[in-house]
Formats: sequence, C-alpha cells, structure tokens
Amino acid sequence: MVPWLAGIVPFGLVIGVSAAQADIPALAGWLTGPLIYAGSSQLATIGMLSAGAAPVAVVAVALVINVRLIFYSARMARPWRGTPWWWRLAAAYLLVDPSVAVGLDGYRRLGRGRGHAHYLGGAVLLWVCWLAAIGAGVTAGAGLPAWLHLQFVIPLYLVGQAISRLADPAPRRAIFAAAAVALLALSAPLQLGIALAIAAGIAAGLTARPAGSAQSIHPLQPSTEVPR
Amino acid sequence: MNAWTVIVAAGLGSYLFRLSMIVLFDRITMPARLQRATGLVAPAAFAAMAAAGVAAACGGLGITQAAAPLAAVAAAVIAVLRTGSPQAAILAGMPALWIATALLPS
Repeated sequence: MVPWLAGIVPFGLVIGVSAAQADIPALAGWLTGPLIYAGSSQLATIGMLSAGAAPVAVVAVALVINVRLIFYSARMARPWRGTPWWWRLAAAYLLVDPSVAVGLDGYRRLGRGRGHAHYLGGAVLLWVCWLAAIGAGVTAGAGLPAWLHLQFVIPLYLVGQAISRLADPAPRRAIFAAAAVALLALSAPLQLGIALAIAAGIAAGLTARPAGSAQSIHPLQPSTEVPR
Repeated sequence: MNAWTVIVAAGLGSYLFRLSMIVLFDRITMPARLQRATGLVAPAAFAAMAAAGVAAACGGLGITQAAAPLAAVAAAVIAVLRTGSPQAAILAGMPALWIATALLPS
C-alpha cells in the first residue's frame, strides 16, 4: 500500500485545496472524502456544485464515474464469501482502486485468512491518509492568495489524467469525443453537457477494436488512478 | 437539494455500488462489453471535465487574458507527453499560468 500513498496524498491535497476554493462550505467539500471516497467523483461533485449545476446532474455524474465500483464489488465477492455480514459491510465501504489492487494481491499471496487482514490493514491506512490529505488541503487552500489561481489546479489535473491515457485507441477515442462534446454542449442547461459528453466518450471508445487494448482499459490497471 | 444532500446522495449511491455484487450476485461475471465501458468512464469523464473546466476559465475573458490559461494547458500537455506522468500537468501548468498572467496585459 505504501507506494500507492505517494500517489494519493498529492491528489488528496488537490481535492482539499479545490474544496477550499469552491463555492461550497469547506466542510461539505471535505465530507466528500468519507462519504463518496473516490477521488474523481469527489472532484466532479465539488466542481459541479461550485458551478451551480443541478443537484440531480451532480449525483448522476458522480455515480457514472463510480460505476466501476460495481466491478470491484464483483471481484471481491468470491474471497469475501462466508465472512460475517458486519465485515462485508465495513470492507465494502473501503473498496476503491488501490485497496482492491492491494487486497487481491494479498489474497493471491497469503490466502483468505491472512488476506482479510492484509486487505483491511491496507484499506484503513489508505482511508486515514486520504482523509488527512484532503483535510490538509482544505486548511492550506483557504489561506492561499487569489493570485495563485488555485481554482485552475483541477482543470490541469484533469488534463494530465486525460493526456496520459492517449496511448491506447479506445481511451483515445473516448477522450477526444468526450472533450469535443463537452465543448459543443457548454451552453447545455444545468451542466448536463458533462454527462452527455461522458456518454458520448464511452460510446466512441467502444467503437475501437478491443484486441490489444483490453488490458490497458481494465479497471484494475489504471496506472495513474488513485482513490477514485 | 443543497450541497450537503447532494454529497450524501452521491456517497450513498457509491456505497450501494460497492455492496451490490457482494450482496446480490457474488457469482456473477460481468459482460465483457460492460467491463470495457467501465474502463472508459474515467478517461471520458476526465476529458469532458477538463474541456469544460478550461472553457469556463477562459469564459468572459478577452483574447489576451484567455491566453494565460491556454498557455498553461499547452505547457501541461507538453509536459505530460514528454514525461508520461499526469502529475507533470500541474507542475508545468501552474508556473506557466503564473508567468503568462504576469506577462500578458490585463
């Protein structure tokens, strides 16, 4: 888990700073951490709420981004079969990209018994560091001067994430289509253009040949994905 | 619905996603096409929000003022393409934004 922390702490700081700069209560921005607990979805929620998007559109976009969690849930169903319900309820709350990756590795190397402890230990460590990083970002971001233009950190972060995924054909099509539709739909009411653009991007990406790219778009291999 | 309600609703929905297969279908295999679509959500969402965010930052600005965020985006794209690291976007883009904002006439 430790290597993952090097990636997620800066991301948590960015989300915290964004929450402090957004036009929503700072505490509400921080609460996206324990409640949503998925970085990209948190960023979208904070950004869209700050932009005045319709509540239904915000929730819809946040959930569309998190739909991969259903896949993670399916992946962990087998090792968690037969465990107490309270354990599954708690362990499911901690499901996110790094915890799934570390957990599956633990079950493969250590077996189920010690694998449970491996998953839970890593996931709790991740959760604590994530919330602490967001909190530090919220605290620091509120006192930073306006000339720093920190509100531009989110678009730049998103640009970096998008550009770094251009190598494979399917994500590349998804990225260009989503960006084009987002720009064309800028005047769409209630920020619905974002949801429309995501749908268009997914549809465009699915037109690419899966052969050779299936590995790269596997939800558990998002090389740059940190709790999201 | 205010911001608090939206965040609680998004959090509750996300938790139900996390629980869904564990509770209901612990033997199910997701269709391959749905798995592919799931993997495309992140790049599509990043691109859509990036484009909209940059457009919003430039909106209402004159041509010269809008050049600063666009220069930052250009620096970010070049940095990511050269290094392969998404974090390079912020490391290159923010200084480019500060420099361009200071140099360009307001």
